[in-house]
Amino acid sequence: MIQSAPFPSQTLLQVEELRTHFNTPRGVARAVDGVSFQIERGQTLAIVGESGCGKSMTALSLMGLVPEPAGYIENGRVLFDERDLLDLTWEQMRDIRGRDIAMIFQEPMTSLNPTFTIGTQLIEAIQIHGTANGEEARRRAEGMLAHVELQNPAQVMRQYPHELSGGMRQRVMIAIALANEPKLLIADEPTTALDVTVQAQILNLIRRLQRETGMSVLLITHDLGIVAEMADRVAVMYAGQIVETTSVRDLFHRPLHPYTQGLFASLPARARRGHDLATLEGVVPEAVAWPPACRFEPRCPFRWETCARVAPKFQPAEAPWPTRCHLYDPEIADRPMRGTPRSQQQVARDLETAAAAAHTTEVAS
Amino acid sequence: MNATQNSGDVANDVNNIAADNAANNLNATGEAPLLAVRGLTKKFPLRKKLFAPPLWKTAVDDVSFDIARGQTLALVGESGSGKSTVGLMLLDLLAITSGEILYDGRSFASRSRAERFALRRQMQVVFQDPYASLNARMTVRETLTEGMAVHRIGKTAAEREGRAAQLLGQVGMPAGALDRYPHEFSGGQRQRIAIARALSVGPSFMVLDEPTSALDVSVQSQILNLLRRLQREQGLTYLFITHNLGVVEYLADEVAVMEAGRIVERGTVDEIFDRPQTDYTSKLLRSIPSLDPEHRKLAPVA
Repeated sequence: MIQSAPFPSQTLLQVEELRTHFNTPRGVARAVDGVSFQIERGQTLAIVGESGCGKSMTALSLMGLVPEPAGYIENGRVLFDERDLLDLTWEQMRDIRGRDIAMIFQEPMTSLNPTFTIGTQLIEAIQIHGTANGEEARRRAEGMLAHVELQNPAQVMRQYPHELSGGMRQRVMIAIALANEPKLLIADEPTTALDVTVQAQILNLIRRLQRETGMSVLLITHDLGIVAEMADRVAVMYAGQIVETTSVRDLFHRPLHPYTQGLFASLPARARRGHDLATLEGVVPEAVAWPPACRFEPRCPFRWETCARVAPKFQPAEAPWPTRCHLYDPEIADRPMRGTPRSQQQVARDLETAAAAAHTTEVAS
Repeated sequence: MNATQNSGDVANDVNNIAADNAANNLNATGEAPLLAVRGLTKKFPLRKKLFAPPLWKTAVDDVSFDIARGQTLALVGESGSGKSTVGLMLLDLLAITSGEILYDGRSFASRSRAERFALRRQMQVVFQDPYASLNARMTVRETLTEGMAVHRIGKTAAEREGRAAQLLGQVGMPAGALDRYPHEFSGGQRQRIAIARALSVGPSFMVLDEPTSALDVSVQSQILNLLRRLQREQGLTYLFITHNLGVVEYLADEVAVMEAGRIVERGTVDEIFDRPQTDYTSKLLRSIPSLDPEHRKLAPVA
């Protein structure tokens, strides 16, 4: 639907078996643990999951911004335009950051320097990559502010971050990010701190700019509504791994992994009024202590004993797209339901039953 | 309730009807509402200069509504619309500039100091960020028993402690949590502790100020289920302040939409979501992402 026809299928970014680990006093935290995905030119991939699943650390790893010395990239390849970013020096990487790959963060207040005007910061972003200088850089900066639909760009150039609203600051961040026409925009929860009306404006803006420049977007979010609005493809992350990945249509039509199903079932909606929402009991485990086999096993309503012993394959034979779950693996002899895809209603019912049972034991204990 | 009969009316009419009902302190069902708010206004001085008259910012402007016993009113609107300011005034934590709040048919102003103190037991609050709202230096035991001690609930410390353990059970936490500190818990667990603290003094009314906005959806659903169960079991009345319209749709009985300090529209969930009367409400509704990739609501990409 989005720009697939005019371009030959061409991969901009290919991530293979990325592992980002941290040394902590309690052992090695495997924050990103064998993540593989790719993004085509002009497309949007959304990475979705709860906090603590490794979404943001995946993005920082691509940018070469893993907090050192505790964190390090243990393994993997990040092919960007057929170059492995992990082989580059800090200086080479600095050149790519902000020019070929740009990033916007959740909190636009802390991403801007409070002591410089918007104009200074925007011009710096342009000059530092040598794409323009002097008056030309200033003109381009002002043009960028107009481009992100800020009223009165000349005035905004002279203003300081604290004089702008949250939505305006995020527009400035987008202007800075896009100043050098990057091929990839990484947006990490870009609208989480904003009101819903401003969120809609910012998402619309990102899509308009994407259409005009043909850039790819890696969108990191925990909001399934934003995924539905923005993404072409989705990768669901849990405990440092991608547990399911497919097109946005497939995922919303028929989520397969119990974790994905749980995320959908826990959304509040009018149809569920008067009934308890399905819940995923418990929390994401800590990265120093991922469960040994299936990482979702302790919270999974469908778990059986094999799940705690054998790690599921990334794409078992009966799964139409990568779904890290034994339910879809015909080689697992003792699975309770023979991997038959269930309807959304069935899924919701099963999850509710499982949640009710879990709740009863919780109260009793 | 008032708006049920007048779904087509705009804010002013709703307010007028609310004012009419205030005269006899009844709502549509003929039962006195637990909470009745009339012409509530709050002005903050913008800057004070010696000898110069202060400039005023009107944060809340002539707001009126009722909340019937055991019901949930959702107050929605963008940041800066005055939602939380209304919540603070309802809790008697912020002085009113004008207007009145009737709790159980009597205004705050008409109550003695002692009565107002006693009223605080009835009204509790749960805030958005359980990382900020719990005292990091107090154990869960201290957090849960402090309010009881202040309001002289339970004769002995042991009795209060027993009640604290009971409260933890009610919110789905193990009794072993009593001797631990907030930092040892996840966001969802902390919010459960904050809810237990609110319940500790036996309130009948709770202001829930964005209680799930800082939580993941999976944890949000746990907290929403808990709040619904508590309301059902204890007959609690909620003012639910939020900008998350999905939560409103699921949980609220009535909705009041605030913009720039005023309530621009009030009605049941079906009225507000299916037949919004004001442009502002329509705009809010149009901004909610669709959850359906085949029918995107934001401007389509060609």
